[in-house]
Amino acid sequence: MEINKLERYWLMAVGITLGAFVAATIVAVTVFGIRLPAPVERIDPQRLDQTIFANPGVRKIADNRYEAVIVARSWAFDAGPEAGNPAVLRFPRGSQVTFYVTSKDVMHGFQIEKHTLNLELVPGQVARATANFNRPGTYHIVCNHYCGAGHQVMYGTIVVE
Amino acid sequence: MASITYPQSAEAPATPGTLKLVQRERAMIGAHIITALIALLFGIFMGPFQTFHRSPTFVQYFPTIPVFTFYYQAVTVHGVMNALFFTTFFIVGFCYFVTERSLQRPIKSVPMGWAAFASMALGLVLMLFTILTSPQQSAVLYTFYPPMIAPALFYIGLVLLALGSWLASANIFLTYRDWKREHRNERVPLAVFAILVNFIVWCVATVGVALEIVFMLLPASLGILKVTDPQLARTLFWFFGHPLVYFWLLPAYVSWYTMLPRQAGGKLFSEPLARVAFVMFLLFAVPVGVHHQFSDPGISASSKGVQTLLTLVVSIPSFMTAFNVGAALENAARNRGAKTLFDWPFKQKWNDPVVAAQLAGMLLFVAGGFSGLINASAQLNATIHNTSWVPAHFHQTLGGAVMLTYIGILYWLLPAIRGRALFSKRAALAQVFTWLIGMTLFGLAMGEAGLQGVPRRALTSQAPYLTPAGAFWMDVTAISGVILLISSILLFVNVIGTLFFSRQPMPEGEVPIETVSGDRSSPLWLERWGIWLGVIGVLLLIAYGPVVAEVLDFQEGWNIMRFIPTSNAPMP
Repeated sequence: MEINKLERYWLMAVGITLGAFVAATIVAVTVFGIRLPAPVERIDPQRLDQTIFANPGVRKIADNRYEAVIVARSWAFDAGPEAGNPAVLRFPRGSQVTFYVTSKDVMHGFQIEKHTLNLELVPGQVARATANFNRPGTYHIVCNHYCGAGHQVMYGTIVVE
Repeated sequence: MASITYPQSAEAPATPGTLKLVQRERAMIGAHIITALIALLFGIFMGPFQTFHRSPTFVQYFPTIPVFTFYYQAVTVHGVMNALFFTTFFIVGFCYFVTERSLQRPIKSVPMGWAAFASMALGLVLMLFTILTSPQQSAVLYTFYPPMIAPALFYIGLVLLALGSWLASANIFLTYRDWKREHRNERVPLAVFAILVNFIVWCVATVGVALEIVFMLLPASLGILKVTDPQLARTLFWFFGHPLVYFWLLPAYVSWYTMLPRQAGGKLFSEPLARVAFVMFLLFAVPVGVHHQFSDPGISASSKGVQTLLTLVVSIPSFMTAFNVGAALENAARNRGAKTLFDWPFKQKWNDPVVAAQLAGMLLFVAGGFSGLINASAQLNATIHNTSWVPAHFHQTLGGAVMLTYIGILYWLLPAIRGRALFSKRAALAQVFTWLIGMTLFGLAMGEAGLQGVPRRALTSQAPYLTPAGAFWMDVTAISGVILLISSILLFVNVIGTLFFSRQPMPEGEVPIETVSGDRSSPLWLERWGIWLGVIGVLLLIAYGPVVAEVLDFQEGWNIMRFIPTSNAPMP
């Protein structure tokens, strides 16, 4: 089978382009520390009261390090009574926050504006991801997975002070 | 750069058949294409209405948008009718026609063809009945993830569609087997080669969604099964969901590779490499579905990494297509007098709706291809996952390249079915260019909105979190909706006009289908389907073995987690 010279050049250019995409992915993981969600734990969404999700809320675990436990349900993010509804979470500038989120009913989404934190909330699975909040501002937490008639009002807010 | 010289082995174009359809063809092909258009009629107009619903300014001035008041019902109708029913009917009808004409024999069994059609048509009726009569319960969108459960008829409609499509696949495979028995050492025509690839991909991929529907969703909907596993269901869905896009795309490629060169006035650059591209689709179309699940918690980062690489590999045959078809178009333009490096894209038959539609589709596909590479890159996905960037992408590919190519095919196939000329060539041209403009604007606005964090599939005009930038881009999207609404109306003016009001006889023409065996420089081993099926099996084992183990949590023992499925989420 003959391959024309120009087509060979084209295929090389394609290879270089795709190689650049692969390299960018590797750099994103190794240098910028972008991590994809991976299995944490499986839980029964009917029995969240027997897990860490019994008491949602924000806990400080070290200087500038926090843990946020959040339960998504139709149609709110429950981050404990202090956060209220719609939930408002406050962190000082420079905080590193690890989110533990799960859904107690249908599929939901968990995306923080202007951050690379974007999780599918699958009932029965604990989703975990870490975000750094270095710039002061107000960022919405948006449910980005269709979850029924009230999907568009499901959100929360993160205030970085 | 000089124009490309053709390989010596390329043979002269084949003798094309006449455009006149015999009665048997007219009935079978016509039934499929017209039923496809009925599904499209329901689906297509939901698109513009969604853009209106999503735009805060539009909703402010027109508080009651007619036709569909429940936004998520419109999303469901749009997805199910356009993406599942219109495409499947159109592809089956078109592929029967190309197979029959290329191999110069009828499909293996006409009764089986009608049985397949009846199954799919009954599925369409049940699906429409369900979505229109119970809008709240059946608003599960065309991805229908549990624990949301739709009425049983929703799933039965899908099962009937799949059953019919499997019968149609079998019919095409058997037709090919009969041809091959009489033509042992010949290469099957390129168009049929691609069609075989397409239906093999379809049969492999639909196994995933069939397992999901038959063993999880339908029993849950009937109340037999009280439990479900959303992570497993999503995995089975996307095992099907990504190859599905190649099932839509490859018939468009059949037109680009085997019909467009002649329609444009040139010839294909390299048939062997076209076959290699289709074999790559055959091998790599399926083991990539996890790239829709990069944000899922139940699948490991390493499994996601493997499928990232495989997804980048499956872009190669599309790059090869860009070169091969691009060279054919350059050849066509040189025949028409193009002289310089950059004048050949302009010296195309932009005034022929059949050609212009396909070229416009290719322009959108350039944007769609690159936005797809961005989606496939696991780390970039975190920025755009489930945002309106994603519908921007698949409206450039499915709504752009695929749809415009199907429309281009329709502009010669529908007159052939009816036996009359196309109702209005000017309306057809206006339709193509309004579609190109509208979809370009749609892709830009939805893409920008996605980068601002605007989610897909949300009634954004009512969303408290919508930022001013997001609102602006949603308003721009509504403008693109107006343009696409005009284009959709123009399309159906031509469909209805050609079927009922065209008085002109069909012009003397030719079916743009090759009827001779393939180029002798194509290796015969490319047709060793058994070997390819084996390679698919190995690739699936590598790509999906670990995923299934993770999703089912084998470390904890065989453990399909038990949940009580919630029916639809409660109403506000």
